[in-house]
Amino acid sequence: MSKLRLRFNPTAFLLIIFFFNSVLRPALALVEDGEGLEEEFTEELLLKPLPDRKVLAHFHFQSSAPPSAANGRHHRLFPKAIAQLARKFQIRELELSFTQGRWNYERWGGFDPMSTANAKPPGVELWAAFDLPLNEIDHTWKNLTHALSGLFCSSINFLESSTAYSAPSWGFHSNSSKLRYGALPREAVCTENLTPWLKLLPCRDKAGIALLLDRPSIYRSHYHSQRLRLISSEFTGIILEQALTVVLQPSMRSNSPASSGYGFLQPSWSVNSLFGKEVVGQCVLAKTSRIFFELEKDLAFKVDKQQPLSSWNNSAFELSVIPNNDIREINAVKNMGSSVLYVFEVSNSNDHMPLDVGIRWKIPLVWSYPQAPFHMNRYLMGSGNERGSIAISLRSTHLLERFSRVSDGCAVHAVIFQVVPWYVKVYYHTLHIFVDGKAQIISDVVRKMKISPSEDKLSPGSMELLLRFPCNIESATLTLDFDKGFLHIDEYPPDANQGFDIPSALVTFPDFHCSRSYQLDDSIYYKSPLLSKFQEGNPVQTYTEVLLVPLTTPDFSMPYNVITFTCTVLALYFGSMLNVLRRRAGEEERLERSKASEKPGLIPLLLSKLFSKLKGKEPESSPPLSTSSSILGPKLVAKVILVGLLAVIWNYYLKNG
Amino acid sequence: MAEISESEPLNPNPDSPGSGASSRRSTMPGTKRLMVTLSVLFPFLAGLPFLLKSTEIYRSPLPFSSIDSLSYRLLPEPPSPPCRLQVVFLRPGIGDSADRLARLISDEVDKRIEGSLTCGSCRRNYAVSVTVDSGNGGCACSGIGEGDPCFWRCGVVDSLGLRNKDEVVDEMLDAALGKGGRCMGSGVGKVYTVLVGESDAQEGVRIVVGKHRHAWVEGNVGENDAALLIANIFIKYFVNGGREEFVAQRKGEFVPVGLDGSVVLSFSLLNADPTDWVYDWNFQKIDEVMLAPVVQALAPVANIQMESQVLYHTPKSSISNWDDKSGGNIFGIGDLPFFVNSNEWHLDTSIAAAGRSKILQFVVYVPSRNECPLLLQLPNGKISKTNGFISPMWGGVIVWNPPECSADSQNKSLIRRTMSPEDLQKIFHVIVGQLRLLFGFKSDYIQDDDMDLINILASEKGFTEWELDVLYRHHACYNLISCTTTLESLSKLVQSLPRMIIMDDIGKQVKYSLEAASLAENNASLGIYDASAASSLQARSLAEDAFFHPSIMSISYSSLEHYFAIYML
Repeated sequence: MSKLRLRFNPTAFLLIIFFFNSVLRPALALVEDGEGLEEEFTEELLLKPLPDRKVLAHFHFQSSAPPSAANGRHHRLFPKAIAQLARKFQIRELELSFTQGRWNYERWGGFDPMSTANAKPPGVELWAAFDLPLNEIDHTWKNLTHALSGLFCSSINFLESSTAYSAPSWGFHSNSSKLRYGALPREAVCTENLTPWLKLLPCRDKAGIALLLDRPSIYRSHYHSQRLRLISSEFTGIILEQALTVVLQPSMRSNSPASSGYGFLQPSWSVNSLFGKEVVGQCVLAKTSRIFFELEKDLAFKVDKQQPLSSWNNSAFELSVIPNNDIREINAVKNMGSSVLYVFEVSNSNDHMPLDVGIRWKIPLVWSYPQAPFHMNRYLMGSGNERGSIAISLRSTHLLERFSRVSDGCAVHAVIFQVVPWYVKVYYHTLHIFVDGKAQIISDVVRKMKISPSEDKLSPGSMELLLRFPCNIESATLTLDFDKGFLHIDEYPPDANQGFDIPSALVTFPDFHCSRSYQLDDSIYYKSPLLSKFQEGNPVQTYTEVLLVPLTTPDFSMPYNVITFTCTVLALYFGSMLNVLRRRAGEEERLERSKASEKPGLIPLLLSKLFSKLKGKEPESSPPLSTSSSILGPKLVAKVILVGLLAVIWNYYLKNG
Repeated sequence: MAEISESEPLNPNPDSPGSGASSRRSTMPGTKRLMVTLSVLFPFLAGLPFLLKSTEIYRSPLPFSSIDSLSYRLLPEPPSPPCRLQVVFLRPGIGDSADRLARLISDEVDKRIEGSLTCGSCRRNYAVSVTVDSGNGGCACSGIGEGDPCFWRCGVVDSLGLRNKDEVVDEMLDAALGKGGRCMGSGVGKVYTVLVGESDAQEGVRIVVGKHRHAWVEGNVGENDAALLIANIFIKYFVNGGREEFVAQRKGEFVPVGLDGSVVLSFSLLNADPTDWVYDWNFQKIDEVMLAPVVQALAPVANIQMESQVLYHTPKSSISNWDDKSGGNIFGIGDLPFFVNSNEWHLDTSIAAAGRSKILQFVVYVPSRNECPLLLQLPNGKISKTNGFISPMWGGVIVWNPPECSADSQNKSLIRRTMSPEDLQKIFHVIVGQLRLLFGFKSDYIQDDDMDLINILASEKGFTEWELDVLYRHHACYNLISCTTTLESLSKLVQSLPRMIIMDDIGKQVKYSLEAASLAENNASLGIYDASAASSLQARSLAEDAFFHPSIMSISYSSLEHYFAIYML
């Protein structure tokens, strides 16, 4: 890059001179921009058979814009929307992933560049590092979530609330106080998120490798993760990586006849059988367009044992297309085999000669993937709606023994980063650590700890722990007790009875860094962002499961009940109050006595009235009633007038109002 | 049933006549009960005003009377900024008749100005002055203009000077009249000058309207004809900006400026099918060289930002047919509504265009090989010269046929080019023309048939000075009217809903909006057109901010019934 920059400076100077020229003489002339500083786009696809008969397809698209004052304003290949986002919110680095399903670390690997970088927790995960003063970051983060949710048709805007995101200091990525992290484990990911993501590619899904992204086959997959990563700086410009990882199950029926006899033969597949589409030529705007077919270390080792793996057609399998190149990993560890990459150039294909990369197996093989040093699990303990505890368990995969003879002083570090919403009130002092089933003193195991307890309705609780275990442990478990909080009635999400999701915890093993370099000359690395990413590598990291915590849900009709009860009480109160004020007990008793002396009784009287009405007869007492009403005449009239007057006043007042 | 039949004979006379008399009470009612009742009632009644006070809603006082007076002042008669016409006769012999000529011309202008009483025109607020410069030191002025630095100084230019090339004359006159700035703040508005010179050539009259605020007439014309011509030029160009009447008479919608006064011009180059050819442009250069002056010129009207992108795989959605006669694929006027393919052309709205600002899309469409050359057919059967069209308030589309498409090449290899500077220049001439159309001017004056005598010099800024004056005047006028109507609606709304909460913010916005509006009015009456346009824009955006304040939107209706239901019951 330094070489490039040196080359750029004279060109920039020329440009300036030219610019002054053109101002003086307002004619447009063309100047070739500095070579190597144009916006670029590459597309790559990595296919890889998995040990459990599934197939992994990893699409990797990379767009880059050189550093320029026009970023965010004028673009050729780079998506304008993203450049504007990076510019407006001063983003240093951003990663957004939409994932459906869970990466199976045991079967699909946990110690290769593929899984460490691309396995993501279910739902949406967003983190961003800003290049802003500290006091502006929270505000910018809120705006960013809204912009992204508009851009990707998703509910990322729920990360706006301060209860939804946290600011990890060292447990997540590097030390940075300008980083914000948020996750929405329950976000449903579907085609409405994929379409805007594809819109950022210059060829969208109209040509090139992205043509394979057939929606039904992608969303049928076992695991599907769509990522967007943005890196921006003054020196490198903006780099946008878009990666889509799917784990597909190839159909079994199209097997070779040998499969009928051999139940364990792996399914043979091709791109067409997986996606229902074929690659017909590259996206013309892509600088490189390649498909890689990878055989994992262990698999390559086993194939090698059958027959030295040299060609694309050997005793173990046969590739459907002749690869343009095959490259081997430069392996540091002996006796573990080295993975093999077959490279297919997409530019050679066209409408008449589609590129349908596939494999036909000839013999059944069983192989495994390199594992992370520990398998992580997280689960809930306890019962009832009041309290419970979270347990994180680490189970050794005996990776360390395979690497080297374990000495006594050997230790392995693990960083646990966990964010818990405020309504799960974790008591961090209840942290217990068990190693191989035996309780440990916390200070023996925990090297470093940063805990920010949750505040009700204000911020989530987050925990960053650096743990140190001896190498030879079998398992370790951490437990934390928590109380379940109460939410306000309108804070419950729809379908509250389903329970609440606690985002995945992230466990990083800083001692283990996985990268993979291949026997290539540097120029191909430069051309292939995917391989250079593999070479760069990542620290090994594992996401745990999402926890589902059932909380006490109120009876949602409760407010109406309360209203009804209150109204009843009020009505009773006022009714009896008025009754007490209006009725005169003494007078009534007197009347009662005088009536009792004349009449048979009130109840027979009322009954007789009722029956006579039921029979449709006029009560015989109509003349006295009419007389009584005539007696009440003036009073009645006065009442009517009063009511009328009130109505008039009311109406008048209303009109004025 | 049996019971009923049984009970019927038992039924006695229910109300004995004596019961009425005996129901009257025999003792006097005690006052104790009355006192208790009253002692409950009285505190309640006494507390009622306090209760009402506590339920009162906060309403920031709005200056209703100022709003009323503003609308009373502006709506029937929008402000007419002053204009000034100066006529210079560069000919000897009519030395004494300056005043007479001035009268003659102002009569002529009077007659014609009736038809152009649109918003933002000078209306009757104009003045005419005549200078007769007889060349050899003789100089006569009609009353008004003497001693003013803006006015013609005799002897600077003579009749012969007008015979140079038009551009040279234009610059010379501009220098002679003093570059606009000198006349700022003179309180009489901009001065428009028409020079009348003589020519040796006998045939006809030549009229040139310059880039600045002047025009000149060459030829031997009589006084009456000259007055007619001058009045025509003044009204048609300097007052109305050369627009057709129907354009000018439409109400202010033609100004595609967002409510906050900003416009984003988004330029997109669409490669319909990149497998045929991929074209690229050097937009930054165009931005700096061609568009920056336009943006600068329009700055008082709108705050303009520019963006560009190149998109691929963007076919149009209408179908074009091959036409042998014109040798190209033809799409007609009827296809235009379907030309823009909103599914595939993701001309994203920009983050820069947040809130209530406006985005104008300019699309350069590069057709694919099988639809190339793509030509727009006008309703009269001719092929459009610009090969583009506009959609008011949305933007414009230009079809650019790459040079490769006529060279019917069989080679299928990918062509990857950058558009040549000449092509770009042509395209952006059309785009500037489209922008002029979107702002309500004619795209250019070449096809001005009825005025074939008149030459109009085009400015490299896209808009000539007198056009900008017209734009500023109209813009200021429409903004003021729109601001007034908005404020009026707000005051009506507020007055009609006594239970509406009005935040202090709204009160402040209304106040500032009124201040900006009166500033705009003042500037307009002083003839400072651009400042008037700028402050009117501010007034309008503040008024809109007040009207669309979120607090109004949230509780715009809380009726009296509601109030009683909440507080009384």
